[in-house]
Amino acid sequence: MSKPRVGIYSLTGCAGDQLMILNLEDDLLDILDKLSIVAFQEASSVKKDEEVDIALVEGSVSTKTDLKRLEEIRKKSNMVIAIGDCAIGGCVQAMRNGETTLAEKMRDVYGKEEEYFDVVEPYGLSKYVKVDLEIPGCPIETTEIRQALLSLLQGNTPDIKDYPVCVECKRNEYPCILVDKGMPCLGPTITAGCYARCPSLDIDCVGCRGPIKGETNAAEGIRTIESKGFGESYIVNRLRFFGANSEEVSKVLKTKQINKLEGEI
Amino acid sequence: MNKEILVEHLTRVEGHGRIEVTVDGSKVKDIKLPIFEGPRFFESFIKGVKYDKVPDVMRRICAICTAAHNLASIRAIEKAFKVEVTPQTRLLRDLLINGEIVESHSLHLFFLALPDYLGYPDAVSMIGKYEKEVKAALQLKKAGNMIHNVLSGREVHGMNDRIGGFSTVPKEEDLIKIKKAMEDSRATAELSVKLFSSLDIANFAQSDNTLMALDPGEKYGYLGDHVLISNGERRSVNDYRELTNEVVVKHSTAKHSSYKGSPFMVGALSRVSLCKDRLYGASKELYNQHKNKLDQRNSLNNNLAQAIELVHSVDRSIEDINILLSWGLKREGLTEIKPKEGAGVAAVDAPRGILYHDYTFDENGCITKANVITPTAINAANIEKDLRVSAGNLLSQGKENLQEPLELIVRAYDPCISCAVHLVKVNSIKCV
Repeated sequence: MSKPRVGIYSLTGCAGDQLMILNLEDDLLDILDKLSIVAFQEASSVKKDEEVDIALVEGSVSTKTDLKRLEEIRKKSNMVIAIGDCAIGGCVQAMRNGETTLAEKMRDVYGKEEEYFDVVEPYGLSKYVKVDLEIPGCPIETTEIRQALLSLLQGNTPDIKDYPVCVECKRNEYPCILVDKGMPCLGPTITAGCYARCPSLDIDCVGCRGPIKGETNAAEGIRTIESKGFGESYIVNRLRFFGANSEEVSKVLKTKQINKLEGEI
Repeated sequence: MNKEILVEHLTRVEGHGRIEVTVDGSKVKDIKLPIFEGPRFFESFIKGVKYDKVPDVMRRICAICTAAHNLASIRAIEKAFKVEVTPQTRLLRDLLINGEIVESHSLHLFFLALPDYLGYPDAVSMIGKYEKEVKAALQLKKAGNMIHNVLSGREVHGMNDRIGGFSTVPKEEDLIKIKKAMEDSRATAELSVKLFSSLDIANFAQSDNTLMALDPGEKYGYLGDHVLISNGERRSVNDYRELTNEVVVKHSTAKHSSYKGSPFMVGALSRVSLCKDRLYGASKELYNQHKNKLDQRNSLNNNLAQAIELVHSVDRSIEDINILLSWGLKREGLTEIKPKEGAGVAAVDAPRGILYHDYTFDENGCITKANVITPTAINAANIEKDLRVSAGNLLSQGKENLQEPLELIVRAYDPCISCAVHLVKVNSIKCV
């Protein structure tokens, strides 16, 4: 059997998901040996413009150039996998989507030079093209990307978690830092798969694997944290870090906004 | 006049950039390093966020120097609120930044820079002939990442180093494992010096470089509150605006810096040149042995300077761990923080050079202004200076022979383009 052709591509982001692939270290050479890499911008000068079986794409669509590249990638790829939060929901750079305009952000950071750059409001890949699989995380976990690649090599669909971080806390018998310590933990609304790393270090979950798709009860999450004495704007900012483009979160944020406006009237 | 895109998409660098050359007959009219990575607006969207979660967002500017961004962010907040940390925290932070240097420099030297010199497209293709070396380099990189994992919680965007200290102190047994990994990989760090000092380094980029590095105190290092400049000045990091003079340039989402009208350089070659008297032990000996190959006027020597730092940081990690173990690790908890109106500037000499974070807070501890200046943004103007000099020197050999040497220069700076974009604002608000 010939090796599957794989392209690793990067749009706008910190390049951390490509780096996590390099961070496979002990397994890196074995895994790369099973694949035929046709593009890996961070690690190789090899650039073949050919069709691929699997495209791993990190980064958000933040410019028209990103969008053009994404459309080209989609066209030549049998399967497109979004790796990391940037490629799924835009990650932190999308946190003010719907809150401040692009022009405001441009003025804020680059002065009056906004006409120079071809920026668009940051979104994940699925806003524009069909995405076959999303591997969450900021960054992705080395264990998860390794398993995903090995599953695909065997013709199986990789297993992506659809339950909250809380499940991993319970499984590991970590004390609940939200209920017991009153820390503003986002664990109940966030996709598991990180082994509840933050709670294990006595840190409240900041939400870096994003809200669980279709399952997140963000309203309840906000209510619980509010009951621990945290203000609404504090909690809303936190949900926005990794969830501003999430349907579930924006639904709740919209309701909040309406309630607030009604309250003011 | 003929404008040509010589390198459409730079590879083996972090992020997206290209090289554009404009040639008029036999003369180079203009050369640019357009950076087309999308802007990310950190300084804009962080406004209104409460101090406690600011580092969680700001460290995501960069993956490969995530600990440096985290530390700069944390220290800027600590300065704004006048928070003191314990000697144990200071030593753990020193260990963390040395781990990051090991991880980042080993990745750059063996996987991004070396393939150029050995004529391969990447390190994996080198396996046939250099299997032992590539595997050893991965183990050295892993030793650096062990520090990220144990101290900060994971390889990239670790969260355990926080404002006021470390949330959970590392276990002694884990520090002993890191020490063993560093000892096992020490020879690989020395191999990098051997490899890069034996290369024939071309001098087509030779030109004056103004250098800046953080003053690390008595011993060579990457943390400090003052900037050393090659003209003999020593300035507080609070003066960073005067030290960088950032301006927006039309062709790039990274802003350009200058000092007294000239571009300047930050990174390993600057640090080694300005702080050579603070090196000690094996790295000092290696410096003395190879100092004739570390001419600060040739930016390609940044690779060898990184190799010397690799040896230093491996040794320093072992030294830091020995001190921590002799003290015995205490569960100190985090220093209590009382937010107040105020501002703080902090710098870290990241793997690629000086990185500044500057924040202003309202009375509730929420950010009203933020400004970040990254080393690659600082270096961008100096890289263009080197490209211009080199293209001028090389053009007579034909345009088609320009691409490789010019890419060599860009890679020698180990640019992190993801980091460079987005950042700073220069408009009347001046703040960010």
